[in-house]
Amino acid sequence: MTMVEIRIRAEISRDGLSGPTWFALVLLISWLILPLIPLAVWSISRSWFFPDITPSAYSLRAWRYVFSSTSEVLPALGVTTLIALCATLLSAIIGLPAGRALGLYQFRGKSAVELLILAPTIVPGIAVALGLHVVFLNLGLAGSFLGVLIVHLIPTLPYMVLVMAGVFANYNPEIEAQARSLGADPFQTFYYVTLPAILPGLLIGSLFTFLVSWSQYILTLLIGGGRVVTLPLLLFNFASAGRNDITGAISMIYILPGVVLLLLGARHLTGRNTAAESLRQI
Amino acid sequence: MSRYPSISSSVWQGLCLLITYVALAFPFSAQAETKTEYKSWEEVMSAAKGGTVNWFMWGGADNINQYVSDYIGGELTERYGITLKRIGINDTAEAVNIVLGEKQAGIDDKGSVDLIWINGGNFRTMKQGGLLFCGYHSLLPNNKLVNWQNPSIANDFGLAVDECEVPWNRAQFAFAYDSARTENPPKSIAELIDWVKDNPGEFTYPAATDFNGSVFIRHVFYHAAGGPDALLGDFDSKKFDAIAPKAWAILNEMKPYLWREGETYPNAIANLAQLFANREVALYFDYDPAIFGINVENGIFPETTRSYGLKDGTIGNTNYVAIPYNSPNKAAAMVAANVILSADAQREKAKADVWGAAPAIDINRLPEEEKQRFTDLPRHPAVVDPATLSKKALPELHPDWISAIEKGWQENVAK
Repeated sequence: MTMVEIRIRAEISRDGLSGPTWFALVLLISWLILPLIPLAVWSISRSWFFPDITPSAYSLRAWRYVFSSTSEVLPALGVTTLIALCATLLSAIIGLPAGRALGLYQFRGKSAVELLILAPTIVPGIAVALGLHVVFLNLGLAGSFLGVLIVHLIPTLPYMVLVMAGVFANYNPEIEAQARSLGADPFQTFYYVTLPAILPGLLIGSLFTFLVSWSQYILTLLIGGGRVVTLPLLLFNFASAGRNDITGAISMIYILPGVVLLLLGARHLTGRNTAAESLRQI
Repeated sequence: MSRYPSISSSVWQGLCLLITYVALAFPFSAQAETKTEYKSWEEVMSAAKGGTVNWFMWGGADNINQYVSDYIGGELTERYGITLKRIGINDTAEAVNIVLGEKQAGIDDKGSVDLIWINGGNFRTMKQGGLLFCGYHSLLPNNKLVNWQNPSIANDFGLAVDECEVPWNRAQFAFAYDSARTENPPKSIAELIDWVKDNPGEFTYPAATDFNGSVFIRHVFYHAAGGPDALLGDFDSKKFDAIAPKAWAILNEMKPYLWREGETYPNAIANLAQLFANREVALYFDYDPAIFGINVENGIFPETTRSYGLKDGTIGNTNYVAIPYNSPNKAAAMVAANVILSADAQREKAKADVWGAAPAIDINRLPEEEKQRFTDLPRHPAVVDPATLSKKALPELHPDWISAIEKGWQENVAK
């Protein structure tokens, strides 16, 4: 263990123990977890009347329905995950070079390009989707997995591109030149030099992209036409019908990937560990 | 049961309106509904074999989903080799818009919707837009079980069915109350007005944007008009202007005694159900009395829930399934429509622990033994006897009347 690493570790633990940080952590965790408690309780309750604190009867009926083949919750979980993963991958493939160009280079019309990339976050997706629906119908993409995947890129791409543009704005491309001069081929340069440097940003961008795609409702409904069934569609079916028990059970499944990703990603979000790792590599 | 196909939120109405505008921006070919090319039921059955039916229907009730996927789906697979895909939607207008969009895009023979649970305004949109497949009733063997002489089956909210849809359920508005809490619930709109004043904060109704809120307001309208007879037929603005002020006066008179002094109204029937479940209000109502039993079974309503119709009668309707003009599986969809009309499927659906929906077929047309099996079905104690209820059934209004009443309520009562 190098001296640098020890110092960094010490910094982390000192930060972690300080009062305000603890307070913020507890606040954050309760803000994240408290709203989920009623949903979890609803999912196993049979009857729960105001103003009772706890349900008057419990039942696993909602969970039995959720896991039955009729509800199609599990296939929908698979479809939602696959679409979100593919959307993340495609966003990264498109967003990485786009972010690099925006972050590193000055070119004519750059602000116009930036505005165009931002546009989907300003213009409501529904307005775009209504027009796209007709186009997709003609292309035979409406109601297909591919169509839904493509339309999810509209809201996800800006997050990836903007995060990557921010990362590349603070990135010095000369280290790539150094690697190339030492004999690394372009792939090695990307894998050993560029990727470690941009990894924290890439992870944050991917996290955003995944969750934005994960939570799409209107776009999936319009372009998928009910044939591409994702979890938000099923969730809304029961939420609007006032079925709190089934809504609670589906919600429990619905939040899983978000929680898992957050736990996996949290380590990288500060960038500190990655910095330590890259120091060790050097 | 029309509450299900027509349930809608203001967001959806806005959205659907938007889609309709987009749709209307494109030239609309005024083409007549498609007629069937099949000559006999045998031909239909052989064409249907191996087909898939994409049935778009409101998906917010697990028991209905299970009945359709498991029972109807099972029958279709086992007996006819047809795959049923139930596609749950929040609002029937979603499915209507898919067909509308496909028509614009020129997809006239391989659409994605094969069957829709529908009635009322959505049926009108589809029939008038030439979006339906019609003229196949004589092919369906179980069509003989339907009493087409009954005007409330032959007309869907005042619009002639014309062999463009097949009846699935009958529904009739009823009130529910908790017998352990409320002793003498009001049995007419006149009694309700006094009851609301005696029990401030104990009653409310969903806004007119909600299907059930709208039908409650129509009952007040019928009361103000002295019965529905004056309101039947096409919309007449003179009649409307004569009756409407009386109806608004009644509702405005009630307003200060409503839940939260009438400052706000629940925006969906599910919210009224929640208020009733939480004992914040004493009365609940629904276009489909089966929901009372379902809610008791789901633990949402108390076990002591009971229901009743009004002395002057309550509004009833029929809801249907329809096949879009561009369905690529029309034969399989017709077989599905025939299966849901069968005595077995209608009886299964009428069971209190399955759904409890009133049959759309005329059970008097069944053999005595079969008929007996219907009348012997145990009824959920929370659900009013459909036979008693249907003795005083009031007709539905033409959709133009309904829109005028809903709009008038927004302007004169809700504001």
